[in-house]
Amino acid sequence: MAAKQNSGNNKLAMTILKGRTFIVLIILLIFFSITADNFMSAGALLTVAKHVALYGILAIGMTYVIITGGIDLSVGSVAGLAGMIAGGLIQEGMTLKMFGVTLYFSVPMIVLITVLLGALMGMINGIVITKFNVAPFIATLGTMYIWRGFANIRSNGATFSELAGSEGLGNTGFEVFGRNLAGTAIPCGVLILAIIAVVAGLVLKKTPFGWHVLSIGGNEKASKLSGIKVDKVKIWVYAFSGFCSAVVGIIATSQLVSATPKTGESWEMNAIAASVLGGTSMAGGVGTIGGTIVGAFVIGVINDGMTMCGVTEFWQKIIRGLVIIIAVIIDQVQRNLQAKMALQARNENK
Amino acid sequence: MKGFKKVLAMLLAVAMVAAMAMGCSSGSGDAEEEKTEENTEAPAGDDAEAPTEDEGSDEVLKGGGSNIIYVITPSVSNPAFKAEADTATAKAEELGYEVKAASHDDDPTKQTELFDSAIADKAAAIICDNAGADATVEAVKKARDAGIPTFLIDREINAEGVAISQIVANNYQGAKAIAEKFVEAMGEKGKYVELLGKESDTNAGVRSSAFHEVVDQYPDMEMVAQQTANWEKTEAYDKMEAMLQANPDIEGVMCGNDTMLEGVCAALQAAGKKLPVIGVDGSDEAAALIKSGDATGTALQQFAVIAETAVVQADKYLKEGSTGADEKQLIDCIAITSENVDKLAGFVYTE
Repeated sequence: MAAKQNSGNNKLAMTILKGRTFIVLIILLIFFSITADNFMSAGALLTVAKHVALYGILAIGMTYVIITGGIDLSVGSVAGLAGMIAGGLIQEGMTLKMFGVTLYFSVPMIVLITVLLGALMGMINGIVITKFNVAPFIATLGTMYIWRGFANIRSNGATFSELAGSEGLGNTGFEVFGRNLAGTAIPCGVLILAIIAVVAGLVLKKTPFGWHVLSIGGNEKASKLSGIKVDKVKIWVYAFSGFCSAVVGIIATSQLVSATPKTGESWEMNAIAASVLGGTSMAGGVGTIGGTIVGAFVIGVINDGMTMCGVTEFWQKIIRGLVIIIAVIIDQVQRNLQAKMALQARNENK
Repeated sequence: MKGFKKVLAMLLAVAMVAAMAMGCSSGSGDAEEEKTEENTEAPAGDDAEAPTEDEGSDEVLKGGGSNIIYVITPSVSNPAFKAEADTATAKAEELGYEVKAASHDDDPTKQTELFDSAIADKAAAIICDNAGADATVEAVKKARDAGIPTFLIDREINAEGVAISQIVANNYQGAKAIAEKFVEAMGEKGKYVELLGKESDTNAGVRSSAFHEVVDQYPDMEMVAQQTANWEKTEAYDKMEAMLQANPDIEGVMCGNDTMLEGVCAALQAAGKKLPVIGVDGSDEAAALIKSGDATGTALQQFAVIAETAVVQADKYLKEGSTGADEKQLIDCIAITSENVDKLAGFVYTE
């Protein structure tokens, strides 16, 4: 009887622990709705969502990568370079020296080129990691510098500021990605975040590819032996992360209607933090897209909530750091409890 | 294998936390240092150090021996620093020097490394827009010990007699001048917000206090929020949106520089608003926003003039042993509004 009571308590504790980030999010929302005027309004929450969209999308790609047991430090730089590619194509077009002509693409075409190049950059990460056996931390640290360097080289450090395009060249409309959807108050970035999140979530849970991703993170050797093409899956995962980064680069430059090579500096840290807060295990094999989105919102609410309260940047940093560490500690507690419960269940079955 | 992964995971977590902790500590550390120097008056140098410094300033530095001038600036992704680096490079090349331009990205450690490279390279002189008022002193001293004169531009350091010249824009005068225009545009009343620059940068404090010296004289002007956006566009955009949500009745924005002004204007455009917005720097982007009516004005820091002056003085010093000017020199800013914005291009104001 006592044992049963105990396991009941454990189950309750488990439920709380599993939903911990969500609970934190709700507590934060309540806290800021009391401390900051106007925080609990549709407008303010949509603003938060708009800011979350940027690193939320990065975090989705990052979650896939971390689940395979890797890490992608290059996401911020890919976003920066993607923004510069898109910005450059609008403002300067593509000059073909041998023909002496400058080609201007339409905006959908530019977006397509940019995201494909982003995916290619991610793919290069994947190839370096799998085919040359470089640790993901090192490989993506390297490409982080390389892409940032190219972003600066693209414009020699300057900003592309004429992204409105011109009718004559047929490349207007780039700013839609940073604005609200026509006729609504919903920022375009939030819609893109929702679409990518739903697709990525379904793929991870319901498709063989998603299962392969999870199983590689759980046990790479066993996965290989059971016939999963580990290298191929990993390369696609990094390509997906690159794709997400490029999308973020487009949205970020579109919001500012100008592309600077600094875009996305140190955003990889926010993306990793969102994934970890959402319950993704740095050891691999564990993680959900839903959790990551909640994690991204926790960071977003902290950032904007504290700004609206008038808390200075320095305290914001400290609080952000504390939340992340506490989340990881709770993660460890949860895993220990889970192991204990599994043991208990086995004993009871005997 | 599993154990190894766990160790790796732990290491990553530690690295992340360490990175964050470093970000915090350097930020707050610098802020403390800055508190000692909050206005454009000559900073009180360390008394104990003063005699040795004075001794040092008597001897004439001959340069490292080569014909190379190092131009060290913050990241040239900021058009102001780019103008500065480009002008200095062009002028030095015109005077017959070989130029090596490098960027310290506002990282004092990287700046020290660049100074070391310049010393190893036997540079003739160093032109530097420094990465921190206190953190730079040692690097400049080291160059001095190697016989290389340093000419500081745009930002001062908290020591005198170490660098040969410190040529800076009169941030105080410029910020005050443009704050007058801000008050005028606001009709001397209303709620406003302020975006500050990186707090480790002396100019952030100087500009803010100059703004307030003017604006605080008007009792009907009320500041409802003040945030750091680290001189950055994306941060300014995000913070402006958040502040607009918190205070929908904001009627004006003061920005510590033009990059933040751009972010603010983008956020205001997205919200369908047009308010008085001021910045400091005088970038082409800000000029475009002033022309279109999205921004009220900016204080032009004559980066090109400052950089050119430094190179000319470096040349004179190397040839004649003296610049013929005081160490500290202030170059006045020009308030740019819709009335005179047409005379501004590439940080150069032509009457």
